[in-house]
Amino acid sequence: MVSWPQWLSLVALVPLVGAVTTPAVSRGRSRVAALWALGVMTVTSFAALMLILRVAREGPFSYPFGGWKSPIGIEFRFDEFSASIGIVCLVGWLAVLYSQRYVEHALEEPRIPYYYTLLLLNFTGMIGFAVTGDLFNLFVFMEILSLSSYALVAISGERTAEMAGFKYLIMGAISSLMVLFSIGLLYASTGSLNMADISSRIGDGAVGPIPLAMALAGLTVGFMVKAALFPLHIWLPDAHAIAPSPVSAILSGLVVKTGLIGILRVYQIYYGAKVLDLSSLNTMLVWLGAISIVMGAFFAIFQEDIKMMLAYSTISNIGYIVMGFGLASPYSVIGGSVHIFNHALIKATLFLAAGCLIHKTGYRTLYDLRGVGKAMPLTTAALSVGAISIVGIPPTAGFLCKWYIALGAFEAGQPFFGVALIFGALFIFVYYIRMVNSFYFRQPVHPEFLEVGEAPASMLAPVLILASLCLVMGILGRIPLSFIEPAAHRLLAPLGG
Amino acid sequence: MEVVDIRPLLAPAISFACSGLVFVYGKNRLWRNFWSLSAAVIKLGVVMSMLPGALRGDVYVYKLVDFTPGIGLGFRADALGMLFALVSSTLWVLTIIYAIGYMEPEHEKSRFFGFFALSLSCTVGIAFAENLLTMFLFYEALTIATYPLVIHEETPEAFRAGRKYLIHTLTGGAFVLIATIVTFQIAGTLTLSKPGILDASMGTQTLTWLFVALIAGFGVKSAIMPLHGWLPEAMVAPTPVSALLHAVAVVKAGSFGILRTIYNVFGIALLKELGLTNWLAWIAAFTIIAASFIALFQDHLKRRLAYSTISQLSYIVLGASMLNPAAATAAIAHIANQAFAKITMFFVAGAIQRTTGKTHIHEFQGIGYRMPWTMGAFTVAALSFIGVPLFAGFVTKWYLALGTLEAGAWPFLIVLIASSLLNAGYWLPIVYMAYFKVPPGTKMHVEEARPTLLIPTLICAAYVILLGTTAQVPLMPFSVARAAVRFVFGM
Repeated sequence: MVSWPQWLSLVALVPLVGAVTTPAVSRGRSRVAALWALGVMTVTSFAALMLILRVAREGPFSYPFGGWKSPIGIEFRFDEFSASIGIVCLVGWLAVLYSQRYVEHALEEPRIPYYYTLLLLNFTGMIGFAVTGDLFNLFVFMEILSLSSYALVAISGERTAEMAGFKYLIMGAISSLMVLFSIGLLYASTGSLNMADISSRIGDGAVGPIPLAMALAGLTVGFMVKAALFPLHIWLPDAHAIAPSPVSAILSGLVVKTGLIGILRVYQIYYGAKVLDLSSLNTMLVWLGAISIVMGAFFAIFQEDIKMMLAYSTISNIGYIVMGFGLASPYSVIGGSVHIFNHALIKATLFLAAGCLIHKTGYRTLYDLRGVGKAMPLTTAALSVGAISIVGIPPTAGFLCKWYIALGAFEAGQPFFGVALIFGALFIFVYYIRMVNSFYFRQPVHPEFLEVGEAPASMLAPVLILASLCLVMGILGRIPLSFIEPAAHRLLAPLGG
Repeated sequence: MEVVDIRPLLAPAISFACSGLVFVYGKNRLWRNFWSLSAAVIKLGVVMSMLPGALRGDVYVYKLVDFTPGIGLGFRADALGMLFALVSSTLWVLTIIYAIGYMEPEHEKSRFFGFFALSLSCTVGIAFAENLLTMFLFYEALTIATYPLVIHEETPEAFRAGRKYLIHTLTGGAFVLIATIVTFQIAGTLTLSKPGILDASMGTQTLTWLFVALIAGFGVKSAIMPLHGWLPEAMVAPTPVSALLHAVAVVKAGSFGILRTIYNVFGIALLKELGLTNWLAWIAAFTIIAASFIALFQDHLKRRLAYSTISQLSYIVLGASMLNPAAATAAIAHIANQAFAKITMFFVAGAIQRTTGKTHIHEFQGIGYRMPWTMGAFTVAALSFIGVPLFAGFVTKWYLALGTLEAGAWPFLIVLIASSLLNAGYWLPIVYMAYFKVPPGTKMHVEEARPTLLIPTLICAAYVILLGTTAQVPLMPFSVARAAVRFVFGM
């Protein structure tokens, strides 16, 4: 059952079909739409699980659509990096469950079925992006993902939300254009769209370095915008803070990672081809990563709005991952790849828990939320676990990645970045301690919410599941680390590492 | 001989479980006290049960889980770890009794006792850590777990102290983490089970930086000057916290880390070759003298105690950096000797505050007649710090003096003598004030602290005398220190 080849096509098709049929199936009843979306995600998750088990057992594999072998046909290809769809399904499933009660409060009734359509389209985009082996499909799925994200940010219809969505749209459209342009350039110069094929064709030396370098630059910058790496992050804080909380969790935990997977795909093409020396690109990425860590933390310190703070913290964490990739040593690439997964867990915990607080109390600044720890002990405990985890205090999930990336920095002979990473993490702790202080140790400003109690079970359960995973993945960290290890070694093998 | 045994894991696990139970059932006073006290007693029992084995030379090990490929979360109860665990577990029992009495009028008691147990779990975790990563894990967790205790009063002053505490200790933690990573990178292992895992072939410059990072990282909690700034501020915490954490558990975690660095990461032979401990000894000597001078001018009793702690902790560092068996014995034994004497003084400070409301030394006139037992205990502790024979402090001073002579470092002998004088200079005036400066015309009636405060104080004071008189008796902390020294020096 595990090696049934159709799983690979189904994992992207099921959410796509589910998305477009949601309005028809629900006919305006929001509860039916929620159940339908949940069912679709359950099937998708099962397919994803089968794929991950198969890749763990037999390594990367492909699925040629219609039996047309690559490079002529369209190919889905599943490698260890594609296993990021596992976290998409997990967080996606929990976010759908969480959304049910959240959106009936936050959105107008007629919009709700479309909300689920957009969510499922968003998941389709992410899953398709991770499993496709073809550059054009990569672009198509990226656009599905991006368009649904813009709409999700603006879905509440409020003016600020529309503004944030618009800002996101402008930046996103420019980046998509750059990616499309680069794909066109690669197609024009190699005559292929299949990534593995392009890599081997440019490796033959048939293509001059200038178009390759231009395509590389376009792809990198395009994906950097999607990943919100400093200085291309300006769209992120508003979009992530203003979106409904489950959407924030998805955007911050998952959608930005698409840009990172894109960068990994670019590496796979170019490292394998061995025609360009990427060390100056890597140096740039390492520096941008380090600056992102510090700038993200710096801006977060001045935020009063809890979701704004979390949004800036995403920028820091993207900085970790990009730094890990740029260092290009086995440990750091493993650490960075696993942080894609772990950060998604942690950030989803934080955003969903923050959503519970906002949903129940109606307040969203640290000042207004003072003393909320007494009213909602489980939610705030989950938030604290998330905070400890994101700072990288052992034995939580965040620690292992920090350990691996820093170890990679020393391994690569660049100890400065290891030190920068660890002290950057300290900086991040400053604002999380502010949050914990205000929730637990300050006298409440609005004593009336001491009566509110915890959020409903369908919202609380996802938060608690994610928070406990933050702890469990710290203890069992070697499972993802050893899972991704062969992929990282394969990626770096052409460098002679 | 290494024996696989679950007890080194069980000891921190008991405190950890206790903190969970207190958080959940802590609203009820009886349950809260019951869980805290029984966990403390059971944990002490578990630690004590390993003592005969540890003295025989058995080492109990337990590997829990592979944390990352190759590096596990491992526990190991060797003699050095046993001593630290024994001291902190013994004092946990006494402090819990004291805290039950002391915290009566306070708020948020379940939070207090929960994090208190959690801190003690981390302390024993540090003591029994098999490798540097496990140690780092508990070292960081200890920082987090003590933060809510430092800011317990929730006043602006407490928040300021808490912030200072976190900035200091987390920065220290970052240094330890970097050092751990570098150690793993160059040595390929992180184990603390050997007398040194590094060797001179790894490059003098790297090793020097590594040593600086480890000492700076652990030195923050050990309050080596100039990294001591957090400790006097942290005295805003309730007295049981100051007593157990800021005189024993937290600060000794730092000293213990330094001992591990010197004995188990670098090893005596390598450090002798590198000569890195010479300047460490000078920093420690400076801290001993400078902190004592500052203590002379403190009127707030708890602040004077804090500076005295800073001074005393550097005895451990000084002893360790002499790199010879006699000084090492003094350094390790001082973990116990200083702990019991200092906690006695903190208990006294708290008892006076709760009974009479007095916190400043100039208010203590004639208090020896009002609280004779309490001040008797204080006098015992004071004599111990000065280094009078028959009290615990004398044992340390004797071996430390022997050690400095053996190392041929006579300037440090002068430092020790000066420190004794300074100790006399800031403790005896309090005793004098209490007994001989009765304000004329006042009638003194005995008004002792309540039993929950007084009994632990007296037990600690009695133990100070016991430590000073029975150093050669087996099963006392001193014998454990000797066992640890035998391992380190391969005797």
